[in-house]
Amino acid sequence: MVTEEKKKELLAKLRNAVIQYDEDTSKEASQEALDVGMEANDAIFNGLVSGMVEVGKMFEAQEYFVPELLMCADALYAGLDILKPHVKQLDLGVKGSVVIGTVEGDVHDIGKNIVKMMFDVAGFTVYDLGRDVPLDKFVAEQLRTDSDLVCLSAMMTTTMTGMKKVIDDLRAKNPNVKIMIGGAPVSQDVADKYGADGYAKDATNALKDAINMIESLKKMKDEVEAKKKG
Amino acid sequence: MTSMNARERVLKMFAGEEVDRPPCFSGFGNVTTEGLRSLNQNFATTHLDAKMMAAAAASTYKLFGFECGVAPFDLCIEAEAMGCEINVYAHSEDLLYPTIKKKLIHNEAELDIVIPTGLTGRGRVPMMVDVIKQLKKDIGNDAAIGSFVLGPFTLAGQIMELNDLLKLSFKKPDKIGKLLDQMSDVIIQVAQEYEKAGVDYISVREMGATSDVLSPRVFKSLILPYLKKIFEKISVPSVLHICGKTNDIVPAMAESGARAVSVDQKNDVAETRKKLGPKALIFGNYDPYNVLVAGTPDLVRQTIKKCMDDGVSAVWPGCDIWPTVPPDNMKAMMDEVKKYRR
Repeated sequence: MVTEEKKKELLAKLRNAVIQYDEDTSKEASQEALDVGMEANDAIFNGLVSGMVEVGKMFEAQEYFVPELLMCADALYAGLDILKPHVKQLDLGVKGSVVIGTVEGDVHDIGKNIVKMMFDVAGFTVYDLGRDVPLDKFVAEQLRTDSDLVCLSAMMTTTMTGMKKVIDDLRAKNPNVKIMIGGAPVSQDVADKYGADGYAKDATNALKDAINMIESLKKMKDEVEAKKKG
Repeated sequence: MTSMNARERVLKMFAGEEVDRPPCFSGFGNVTTEGLRSLNQNFATTHLDAKMMAAAAASTYKLFGFECGVAPFDLCIEAEAMGCEINVYAHSEDLLYPTIKKKLIHNEAELDIVIPTGLTGRGRVPMMVDVIKQLKKDIGNDAAIGSFVLGPFTLAGQIMELNDLLKLSFKKPDKIGKLLDQMSDVIIQVAQEYEKAGVDYISVREMGATSDVLSPRVFKSLILPYLKKIFEKISVPSVLHICGKTNDIVPAMAESGARAVSVDQKNDVAETRKKLGPKALIFGNYDPYNVLVAGTPDLVRQTIKKCMDDGVSAVWPGCDIWPTVPPDNMKAMMDEVKKYRR
């Protein structure tokens, strides 16, 4: 049984590894957490994700910029790859599968990848179509996988307009699917006009939105735990 | 003041001479669907044909009195000349700008590249020379003729994964510095070719270096030296464009040696004007999509007036003008600029 002190130490190590974009320490601490018998979920959410939340704040305060964010994400994945196979699946009441990609004409995928990371962390099944994705492929993939959520990303104004087509098409074929759009040119106004359910304005907001989502998942998880105990 | 035509106004402004009002022009793509329709041309094929591109580039001046003709429209010319394949989306009915299909560098080990010789004879560079000459012949006495090249960092992002470029800028700045130096040489060659063809001004688009992405510190230490190298070698009036957050880096932008600094709607131009002083040329900074395309003519007028009140030297978009701009909005913009008196 792992002591509270050891647990605290490892969580801090995981958190700092992400903040200081230290992939090696992230791997080491993740392995150690498993070795001493810590819950993988605990290590992910209270270690790695907690570090990423801090990174999001630093990004917003302009202490960190996109290169740092990408390196922190690498550190998070380094740990996640080790911990994920050991996560005990909890019934969260959400099915959790998502189709994600950058629309045709747009070859930018950094924002998309950051959002994807948060879905990976949350244990969603992610169908990543990549970038420069032909519009009809989003619809085909959603139908093929019966995913709950479709995320469309566009970094440029010049490709944003393609998202409306995908949304219209998705709604026509599957009225229940949730659609989230994101990218630098996207605004609440655009999301409303295009008929999307949600939007993430840029990397910061994508991260914030994704974190909000994870936090609500955590809450759900805690409730499930509480019920179990109760 | 004697009356001046659009080209004279732009050139005088660049020369620091007095003009009757700020010019209303751009350094980036400004072809409209209205223009394409008047020529009965399709967007995808326009990128590959000199005659079509020249005609399209002249159409915004001809239809709306927008005070320039600019080519190319896409951001792939230099990367293509270096050997990247492009995609023009010939199959698509949508308006899509060409993108790079295949990169040259796929990982850190491939960072050492050799720039092909005879660069200005490769890809669409010769076609661009032809476009500029035709454009000059068509409207060059009346409107200013411009062209653009990418900045070294943005060009590096075209030939390698942006993800890797950003991380390596941090982890291996020496290696990236060397690559940026090579990019500068490419950019200088292409820009000088455009000069020879007769452009009145050249914009350098360094979008990748915005403070939304990169810290001002990295911009100044890693990128600015190569921008300086480029601007030293451009002899026609030059413009440095960076989009997104730029308020912290405008002094560095002004230091680059560019004749003018171009910013988008995220910049507080009144503050930039204070920072750079009354003589600096500041271009900007209306939102070419949310205002010019999606806004009402009233919003266009208000926005354009605010740009001028804030102190822009030229009314100029924050990026390429999206082609579906409503003609009424183009008219509202031109009208607002023309009636403005300082």
